Amino acid sequence: MTPFLEIAGLSRHFGSFVAVRDVNLEIRKGEFMTFLGPSGSGKSTTLYALAGLDTPTSGNIRIEGKSILDVPPHRRNIGMVFQRYTLFPHLTVAENVGFPLSVRRRPAAEIAAKVGRMLELVRLQDFAQRKPGQLSGGQQQRVALARALVYEPPVLLMDEPLAALDKKLREEIQCEIRRIHRETGVTILYVTHDQEEALRLSDRIAVFSKGVIDQIGTGAELYENPATRFVAEFIGDSDFLPCDVLAVRDGLASIGLSGGLAVDGVPLHGNPAAGKAELMLRPERISLSRAMPASGPALPAVIGDLTFLGSHLQVAAATLDGRALSVRLPFGHEVVGSLARGDEVWLSFRPADACAFCSAQGGS
Amino acid sequence: MPQATALVGPSRGQRRTSLLLALPALSLLIVFFALPVLALLLRSVLEPAPGFSNYVTLLGSSTYSRILVNTFTVSAVVTVVTLLIGFPTAWALALMPPIWSRLVFGVLLLSMWTNLLTRTYAWMVLLQRTGVINRTLIDLGIIDQPLPLVNNLTGVTIGMTYIMLPFVILPLYGVIRRIDPAILQAAALCGATRAQAFRRVLLPLVMPGIAVGGLMVFVMSLGYFVTPALLGGTANMMLAELIAQFVQSLVNWGMGGAAALVLLSVTLSLYTLQLRLFGTSGLGGR
Repeated sequence: MTPFLEIAGLSRHFGSFVAVRDVNLEIRKGEFMTFLGPSGSGKSTTLYALAGLDTPTSGNIRIEGKSILDVPPHRRNIGMVFQRYTLFPHLTVAENVGFPLSVRRRPAAEIAAKVGRMLELVRLQDFAQRKPGQLSGGQQQRVALARALVYEPPVLLMDEPLAALDKKLREEIQCEIRRIHRETGVTILYVTHDQEEALRLSDRIAVFSKGVIDQIGTGAELYENPATRFVAEFIGDSDFLPCDVLAVRDGLASIGLSGGLAVDGVPLHGNPAAGKAELMLRPERISLSRAMPASGPALPAVIGDLTFLGSHLQVAAATLDGRALSVRLPFGHEVVGSLARGDEVWLSFRPADACAFCSAQGGS
Repeated sequence: MPQATALVGPSRGQRRTSLLLALPALSLLIVFFALPVLALLLRSVLEPAPGFSNYVTLLGSSTYSRILVNTFTVSAVVTVVTLLIGFPTAWALALMPPIWSRLVFGVLLLSMWTNLLTRTYAWMVLLQRTGVINRTLIDLGIIDQPLPLVNNLTGVTIGMTYIMLPFVILPLYGVIRRIDPAILQAAALCGATRAQAFRRVLLPLVMPGIAVGGLMVFVMSLGYFVTPALLGGTANMMLAELIAQFVQSLVNWGMGGAAALVLLSVTLSLYTLQLRLFGTSGLGGR
């Protein structure tokens, strides 16, 4: 079966700089797909190629099996919400939302009805006669959303639409976007550099790094089983300890940490030929105890700093060879009350919760 | 800006200080500009006898009304042509890399700073019967007889268009530069063709610049003297030439004042109209 939206071997070069390198992606109808990555990772360039605002150097983009590369932007029938405010300042909110229908020469009655329905969808019915300059940033982006959806495009592109808003407003509009996605069933491609936003909104996330997609998966998959060190760093919090790869079997490695601790059964990514790797540990997957645990790998450490953050306690610890490790303890943990700076403790973890990335590859 | 100070609400002391600071310039304007103009306008209703006889003559005679028609026609044509040339030029300037736009601006400003007489004489040389333009056209076989390009309203229009061009390019450039290109991208994604995006998004956004530049050119053209005097013919006078003739050659201050008042009232009413339609936003800039 042909995928609904397919990006095949997409590359974009700017002179000698490669902004996007061989991106391949299939998106289901109605899916909420997020491109997550730092600035300059190629996520926006990919989105602009989809919109037709940028021409890829090679590769193809197909919707329902048909290439859209030769279709000019105004005939692609794709909706887009930009990072900057792009409402037409001389038109009212209602005229802005009606603009796509009006340039398609729809009858006035149809325009009025659809604009009304769209403004209801983004909850701005009472603002129909205002000018964009009289709206807040959040309201402007909601109008832009209504304008991008009014002609019922099969695909909606969003390029960091909430980047200019403050945190509280951002979360509020994220909820709105989720609701609108549910209600309209539109396929959404969303670009962001904010992992929390990506996790909150998306069905699947494509993590971009230096022009390539490092990994595609649900938020849980990326968190549980990151394919590269970059993904591990970008999704969730993580610390890394250098280690030696002693043996590998079925993707699980035996590794040796400094201090002579050997751990079996750690999931391994990359080519172990160099024999060196980095062990990733998540702060919330580390247990802390005063006495050495009876079983399982455990590292001796010294507590450097304690930060109470409401629901949990953030512990900054250091291993005996000076590597920093953070631990997140839930409020009410038996040792929380008695911990103090300089305490010697044991940090233990389950090998399956950790992950090792071979140094030869992607060790930036 | 007077509005700005009104908004902030300065104390009485501050207001008195700013009035004092403005006093030298203000008194200079009153003594050397406002009073002489007023005197000239008064003479239009007092000489040769009190009454409106000067205005009746001016507006009643076919010779004078033809000069008025000439003036308005030339000014209107110059305005339209400068806008038609200036808009794409300003657009290109806003889009081209800064190095190139700076170069073009340099050329533009250099021509503005060059003496007006020099530039007008240069046009006389270019436009005359045996001038470069006519000779080239004849050599290319496009025409047999030289075109009458100078000593008529065609010459005036060509020369004035050239001189007025910077006055539309500069404000249009300022307005176009302030438009976020993403707005036009958004229009395209909304389904607007290039023509629709131009007519329904770009043009309304550039309108204040067109109004400011167009009005400036039209008003300046109405009262322009040097270029019409040199490139125009004696048969086709413009209003400023008429005023000069009344005052200098005929020493008829009454008629001169009347013609000046006609020019002044047209200018002021156009200015008021522009303020009504577009406010002051296009003038001050942000």
